[in-house]
Amino acid sequence: MKTQNAPNSFVFNSEIDVSYLNSLYGEDYVYVQEVFDTVLHDYQSLSDNIEMSYSSGNLTALRAAVHKIKPVFGFVGLTAVQDHCQQFEQVCGAAGSPEHLAGDFESLRNKIFHSKQLIEEEKKKLELFNRQSS
Amino acid sequence: MSLSCIIVEDLQVAANYLNNCCEKSGEVEVRGHFSNVTDALSFLNSHSVDLIFLDVEMPGANGFELLDQIAFSPKVILTTAKQEYAYNAFQYNVSDYLMKPFTYQRFIEALKKIQPSKETISMNSASDHIYIKTDGKLIRLNNDSILYIESMGDYVKFVTADGKKFVTHNTIKNLEEKVSKSHFLKVHRSYIVNLHKIDDMRENLLFIKGNEIPVSKANKADVFRRLNIV
Repeated sequence: MKTQNAPNSFVFNSEIDVSYLNSLYGEDYVYVQEVFDTVLHDYQSLSDNIEMSYSSGNLTALRAAVHKIKPVFGFVGLTAVQDHCQQFEQVCGAAGSPEHLAGDFESLRNKIFHSKQLIEEEKKKLELFNRQSS
Repeated sequence: MSLSCIIVEDLQVAANYLNNCCEKSGEVEVRGHFSNVTDALSFLNSHSVDLIFLDVEMPGANGFELLDQIAFSPKVILTTAKQEYAYNAFQYNVSDYLMKPFTYQRFIEALKKIQPSKETISMNSASDHIYIKTDGKLIRLNNDSILYIESMGDYVKFVTADGKKFVTHNTIKNLEEKVSKSHFLKVHRSYIVNLHKIDDMRENLLFIKGNEIPVSKANKADVFRRLNIV
């Protein structure tokens, strides 16, 4: 799935599913930069919502919050994280209490944190690439 | 541009992407983007659109609650990933689901599903009859023989006084403009009834020859206006 790019194309981090990204935006890297920028703009509130729901022990709200952030990862080609969210939603639906979710939540939290850093780095690289290409 | 639409979506990246798809298609004019049901409803109270791209899970009211409150029946494309909405989707005449994120090609496929059917029915609102195309032939139905018309997604069902049911590719919205206004009235997003066939009305239900027809809040005042209440 993670096919690499043509010689003059932008080289994405290997965690990003380039084929998937291309299926959404082609090789319009200016638009891709816009998408990454928009995602980062909303990222904090979306992840804060997840943290708050977990802290309050409200599993319904937690599931909804994870469901809400899930497509965000698809928009930036992090399809594995998107799948991880989907799995967490299912686990969350079956869990009786937040304690049963502790391990799964920690794993999700780490992925969300790591993904943010990755998206920020890719956005910076895209800005540079687009500046040099214009 | 052949279709007007609004986008009801609280995820900014998804709304922007949809807007981009609409622009790229050249087929859809986006009249507005709303991140919650309240703002969308406020717009729709004074504007009509052909199509709504609708997220279901949003802060406050959900997408279906918006559909409950508007007074007309636009086409709806859901932008959600949850299969559990399938039953509601059928009830609300939803044309398609788009699972976020979706490709442009998938978007175009969804648009194709909502092109109104203009060839399956031949009507004249001043006429005492209509023709519907069903099972490969044109069938004449006298207005007086029709009890009500019910939406079935991209199809409608004509129920007649002799107990027959005729299904044809069409929409309540399209029919609403074409049927005889003296005979028929839309009482719900999924129903047009023959006013001359109503036996009684209780609360939000009409009864026609033993069939219960729901009346939406938005259409209830119209129903009272049209009934010959003395």
